[in-house]
Formats: sequence, structure tokens, C-alpha cells
Amino acid sequence: MSAVSLALLVVWAWAYGGFRFTDLFQNQSRENATRFLREIRPFPLQDQPWDWTTWFRWMSETIGPNASEALGATLALSVAAVILAAMAALVVSVFAARNLAGPEPFAPSGKPPSQIARVLHRGLVGVTRLILLFARSIPEYVWAFLFITMLGVGAWPVVLALAVHNAGILGRLFSEVIENVEPSASRTLRVSGAGRGQLFVHAILPQSLNRWLLYFFYRWETCIREATVLGLLGFISLGWYIQDARAGVRYDEMVVYVGLGAILILLADLVSAVARRYLRSG
Amino acid sequence: MTWYRRRTVLLFMALAGLGAGFYLGLDPRTLVEPRTLRVLADFFGASFKPTLIAADGHSLWPAIWSGLLATASFAAAGMSLAIVFGAGLSFLATSGWWDGERAGRYHRFLGATVTAAARALIAAMRSVHELLWAMLFLAAFGLSPITGVIALAIPYGGTLAKVWSEILDEAPQDAANALRAAGGSPVQVWFLGLVPRVADDLASYGFYRFECALRSSAVLGFLGLPTLGYHVSLSFDNLLYRETWTFLYILFGLIVAVELWSSVLRKRRGWA
Repeated sequence: MSAVSLALLVVWAWAYGGFRFTDLFQNQSRENATRFLREIRPFPLQDQPWDWTTWFRWMSETIGPNASEALGATLALSVAAVILAAMAALVVSVFAARNLAGPEPFAPSGKPPSQIARVLHRGLVGVTRLILLFARSIPEYVWAFLFITMLGVGAWPVVLALAVHNAGILGRLFSEVIENVEPSASRTLRVSGAGRGQLFVHAILPQSLNRWLLYFFYRWETCIREATVLGLLGFISLGWYIQDARAGVRYDEMVVYVGLGAILILLADLVSAVARRYLRSG
Repeated sequence: MTWYRRRTVLLFMALAGLGAGFYLGLDPRTLVEPRTLRVLADFFGASFKPTLIAADGHSLWPAIWSGLLATASFAAAGMSLAIVFGAGLSFLATSGWWDGERAGRYHRFLGATVTAAARALIAAMRSVHELLWAMLFLAAFGLSPITGVIALAIPYGGTLAKVWSEILDEAPQDAANALRAAGGSPVQVWFLGLVPRVADDLASYGFYRFECALRSSAVLGFLGLPTLGYHVSLSFDNLLYRETWTFLYILFGLIVAVELWSSVLRKRRGWA
């Protein structure tokens, strides 16, 4: 049943969208592609045999002056955004976890909670989750487009856009970690009179921090990917140079910047994998 | 994990965050300037009154409907292609099909080479964002719908291949070993011994990626494809905040619908 509906969806999608591979091989497209392949060769080497010294000189003259700014800004955007997102998620996840934000966290007191308390707590959790869900269903790129148009081009709107989307994801993941915490420590504390704040600091935080950090690094990887692209919207990071090269039909430079972005992402994957292994093995 | 390690990592994170903030010149005070606050209040205030009537008095439904269908069709077509790429590459990128007890030295060498090549290809596919693939294809082939589909399918295929091959590498080896002992070929071992053991995990990750594909498909609208992002940017550029919110809520509804669908399927099939 489900397999059939999925297959139907795919068939419908190809028919509705009018996606035809033959579009790639029509005369116009073929001419386009041939020209593109010629133009992605570095400019001084077009229609010339490949020569590494010329290539190196071209790289250091055209890409060199911009590379450190492009890469530095992309990296800084992703780091600032993911840290902001994690701080927001840390606060919000407390209100989205059914156990900690329930009317009776972890241990029943003498009398059962009143109906009103139950409804209020459920409402709080529900509204918090709805906001998180909304924040993460709008893509970073759309948030960035909205914020940049409202606040003007700058670092803040880009950082905020990345942070809002990722706070939605991390908030959900963090709150799931809180809900899956082994409850005995919290129960003991609760029975001896600890409030929610004390429960959080002395039981939830130490028990959850490991998983939170793993999720943090996983999101940082995706933040770097997105940060390269958000420059398309005008803030000077890698994406801006890519957009600029495309607008000036300098495809040779465009391809190099795309490649630089790919290298940055691969390096970030590596750093993140090392950090996660370091945390796990401790 | 010891406190010592966590403290080191947390300290690094704090330093990196401060460094990034200074590098970018992020000053919290600029966020609470009255002008900024007023603009933000205007926009988020409009979230309470989305509209279904366009500025010219016509109904917004035709635009909503076409944006919705285009978003779904780009995402579904892209994913179907990505699944083909992902399935093929994840087969090549797992060591399970050549690293058996019966494999000879020649086969081991061949298998290791193929796997390494597949992993490099996967890394290259994944490390370029779908929007950048789209820009490269637009530059190379000009605008046609299929370029959007391929741009989605390449990074998504790479990501599917990476995660699927990791899932398959960690799959229980019991059935695979039994099949190998009975003389099964690599393809038989892979399809009958490994894939069924982790089919639920593979399927639920595929569904999660479909949700991501819907978001990416919406964003491709900013490059001019007729998906929801196109309508968001158009209405917002004309300062029609209430229309913008309508399209944002539609995108939200689409994502929620797919999440509900996948949770229903998960329950029925027992997907973990």
C-alpha cells in the first residue's frame, strides 16, 4: 500500500514537472555546455595546453586576495550561528520536554495535579513544540532572505537565519534527550525537595550534555554547508564570490570558489568527526 | 566520558564562538535599535493575519496550489533519482560485498579500490550544496526543469549513499555470513543478507531526506523555478508581508504533512 502510493507519487512528479533528460541535449543546451566547459578553464589557459605555473599565477592573482576573507567569513558565520542556536535550544528544550515541563516532574507529590495544572503544562509544551517545528520547517535560506531584506546586508541577519532554523532542530533533539534521561537521579533529587531548576542543573544537565554535544557537532557540519550558500544573498562570504563570478560570466573563478567551499565542508566534516570521537572515547 | 574532556570541548566552543563574533563584528546592541525592532515587529505582526486574497484582489489559491505541486514534484523527482544514485553507490561503498572469508587477495584489492573510489565520489557529490549544483547546471545547460531535479539528486544521492552505507556496515552480519557460507555471490549477500536486516532504518532515513528535499525544492524557487520559494520572494519583494506569511504557512503545512505521513508508515511497518 505505502509502496504503491510512493511509486505513484514519483510517477506523478515526473509527469507533472515535465522533467525530460532530452532537454539537456538539445542544440542550444549542447552549445551552452560546450562553451561552459571551455570557459571553466582558467582564463589564461583557455585554448592553451595546461601549464601549472600559469595556473598557479592565475590562482594567486584572482582567487588569492579573496580566499581568506571568503573562507574566514563562512567559517565564522557557521560557528557563531550554531553556538547561538545551541544556547537558544538549551533554554527552549526545557519547556518542550514532557517530563521536566510536566505538572509533576519525575516524582508524584502527595495529591494528584489539578486538571488546570495539567492542561496548562500540556499547553506550554505544545506551544513550545509548535514554535520549534515552525522554526525548522522554514529553510535557512528563506529565513536569511527575509532577515537580510528587513535588516539590511550584514552578518547579523545571516547568523540569525542559520540560528533560528537550527534552534528549531536542536531544540527538538535536546528535548528528546531530556525525555530519554534515566530518571532515577532526578527522582531522588525530587523526593528530597529539589525544584525544576535544581533538577536541571544537578541531574538533567550532567546526564544529557554528552548527547547534546554530539548533536551540536552534527548541526555544525550542516551550518557550514549552508553558510557557504547564504552568501548568494549578499553578505560577503564564499557564496557572494560565487554569485559575483557568475554575474560577470567568469565561470573559471566560479568553479574554483565552489571547489574551495567543498574543501571547507570536507575539512569541517573531519574536525567534527574527530571531536565526536574524542568525546565518545573519553 | 570524563568531565575533563567535556570541559576542554566546551572551552574550545566558547572561545570559537567569541572569536567568530568579534571577527564578524556582531554587536548585540545593533539588534535592539528602534528601527530594527520596528521592522521586525511589522513583519512578525503580519504572521497573525495571513491572507488568501492577493494585492490585486484575486484569490491567492492558484499561486498556492501551483507552488505546492511544483515543490512536491521537484522534491519527489529529485529524490527518486537520488535513491537510484544512493542505492548504487552505497553498494559500492560498503565493504560487506567483497570483504568475506572466501574472498581472495585479488578480489580484496579490487574491492578496496572500488570502495575507496565510491567514497571519494560520494564526498564530492555531497560537499557541493544543491543550490550551487543548480547554479553550475544553469550556467552549463540553461534553464530547464530537469536541471533542478539533477541539482537536487546529486547531493542528496551522495548523502543517502553515505548514511546508507554506514547503516549497512553496522548491520548484523549473521544472515550475510550464512549466505556467504552457502556460496552466495556478493550481490545475493547484499540484497538478501544485509539490506533486509536494516530495511526499516534505511527507509526511515530516506523519508527524513524526502522532508529535507521538500525544503530544498522550495529554496530552488529563489533561482527562478516555480516552487514555493519563488512565491515567497515575489510577495516579500513587493512588501506584501501577509501574502509572504501565507506561503510560509503553506510550506510549514507541507513539511508537517510529510512528517505525519512518515510517522503513520513507521507505525504500520514497525519502522524504528
